[in-house]
Amino acid sequence: MKTQTENVIVTRDLRKTYEDGGVPVEAVRGIDFALTKGEFTAIIGPSGSGKTTFLNLMAGLDSPTGGEVELSGNLISEMSGKELSNYRRDHIGFIFQAYNLFPVLTVEENIEYIMLLQGVHKKERHERVMKILEQVELQDFAGRLPSKLSGGQQQRVAVARAMVSKPSLVIADEPTANLDSKTSGDLLDMMKKLNEETGMTFLFSTHDEIVMKRARKVVTIRDGLLYKTDESSE
Amino acid sequence: MFQKLIMISWRNVMRNRRRTVITGIAIGVGLASLMFSDALFAGMNVHMVESITQTWMGDAQIHREGFRETARISYTIDNPAEIDSMLSCDTLVTASTGRLISPASLQSAMEMKPVTLMGVNHLTESSISMLETAIDAGSYLTGDSLEIIIGSKLADEMDLQLGDIAVVTAAMADSGFSSRMFMVSGICKFGSDQYDRYAAFVNIESAGSLLGLTGELHEIAIKFSGPMIAMNEDLPFWNTFSPDSNIAEGWPTLAPQIKTMLGMVNVSMTIMSLILFGLVLFGIINSLFMSVYERMYEFGVMKAVGTSKLSITAMVLLEAFWLGVVGSAIGALFGFALIEYYANAGISFGDISLSGVMFDKPLYTIVDWSRIWIYPAATLLFTTIAGIYPGIHAGNLNPSKAMRKSL
Repeated sequence: MKTQTENVIVTRDLRKTYEDGGVPVEAVRGIDFALTKGEFTAIIGPSGSGKTTFLNLMAGLDSPTGGEVELSGNLISEMSGKELSNYRRDHIGFIFQAYNLFPVLTVEENIEYIMLLQGVHKKERHERVMKILEQVELQDFAGRLPSKLSGGQQQRVAVARAMVSKPSLVIADEPTANLDSKTSGDLLDMMKKLNEETGMTFLFSTHDEIVMKRARKVVTIRDGLLYKTDESSE
Repeated sequence: MFQKLIMISWRNVMRNRRRTVITGIAIGVGLASLMFSDALFAGMNVHMVESITQTWMGDAQIHREGFRETARISYTIDNPAEIDSMLSCDTLVTASTGRLISPASLQSAMEMKPVTLMGVNHLTESSISMLETAIDAGSYLTGDSLEIIIGSKLADEMDLQLGDIAVVTAAMADSGFSSRMFMVSGICKFGSDQYDRYAAFVNIESAGSLLGLTGELHEIAIKFSGPMIAMNEDLPFWNTFSPDSNIAEGWPTLAPQIKTMLGMVNVSMTIMSLILFGLVLFGIINSLFMSVYERMYEFGVMKAVGTSKLSITAMVLLEAFWLGVVGSAIGALFGFALIEYYANAGISFGDISLSGVMFDKPLYTIVDWSRIWIYPAATLLFTTIAGIYPGIHAGNLNPSKAMRKSL
């Protein structure tokens, strides 16, 4: 499926410096990076290497102190808060380590939430939710609350929520950190399958070898710098 | 989206039911105490007004202009017969009675005391004042020219008993003095010195003959169909019955201290309401902030996936609104139950007297429907307003900071 070479996201000399107790900390120190459409890429690195900050900057959740992020040709720095919020809503899907489903919403309501923000019609929302639930094999759990699901099931709902609005980029923060190795493998296989079927771009941060093994590209970050990039022969 | 926010906010409020119920009870207790206080003060207002109007004054009175200020016995009402006929046709008026009033001295075999002599119409006086029901010994006036009713304290001080002879001396309208002998036929007990120590009541014909004012009146006391009617200063009644030298006045003018007390009660109620609403406001803000801090990560996720600042603020405001609904429901239920109970059982204050008003009977709560609804409505409004600050705070959260460990 990976036939196009269009860049989904590009960073140029991206920098982020925090103040920690009055001491400046350079979390990201000038990263040039590009992610093409349809990629299934993992970002790895030791704790404190800057990968979370790097992902936050790419997702527009944090503003850089230097450099720029270009999402599908749009510079994040030129967007207003509202534009950025709308951009995240329409172009980026998020999968979090602790699933972070809304506990008061059912599986179906959680998945349709972003479409609700987008103003998608009720009938279409329902159809899309049912379709993606089938893809993540949770079609019988639509009316359940997240608290009634296992960790693996919750993360599959989170994947469905991230993908249902058809974003150009799905960013996942250590998506398998709270799962056992079998559930992690199953989840990764499912995500890879969806990646191949839909051509959606996936970017993970991870420590998990299961994720690394399945990624087509593994980017290593150390001390806020891009250290190396390994591409699988797959 | 707004419909969904309504649903989400309700479910959020119900997430921590214990906290919601505790907060609801806190709001409810505040609201119930406000509603109860309002009903109690309404009962107290009616009691104060009725106490002053039903004891002697009536809801309104007509005098010759200047009589109240000078007490000159020559200042009698112009055309009393015509006024009486007009009063009987007025739909607001349910009863009226004429009186002659004069300073006098009452003499027994042993003592002489200054009194206010009240000449009353024994047939109509009962419909205005409580003279008949205040009889403690003997009997009410029957129309006999010798009858005199005196207050219980005056009777004690002058050592007068039923059947004893007493002489009343008063200045006549034209000139000179006149004395007349009476026989004590009744002893009354109003519970106020004004009547129990300083008043003597005789038939109006006897008073007219003593004062040289036969057929004349100093005062016409009037009862309206409701005690609060006289509060209306724009009532045409006042002009209709104040032609030429006569003047008609309601109890707020005749007993301004009661009007002042009613005003003070209203001010007290307003201050109490503001204090309680202020406490409720800060309680809700605290509760909502706790809830926002507990869900920081969730708000971060909501913002990350593109929920607008306005939607998050609206959601917290709606949560505050739902807390208000729960609190108002609890408060209204509890408040009405209390009011209903004390509307029947009453609250006894003992035999205290305040500004001439006796609180010798139980006070009953009264619901003033024109204002009681304001309290639950204001509670709902205040609790929703209390959501503004936490709502704006939640709406302005930075998603990456709110999620801390995320991404």
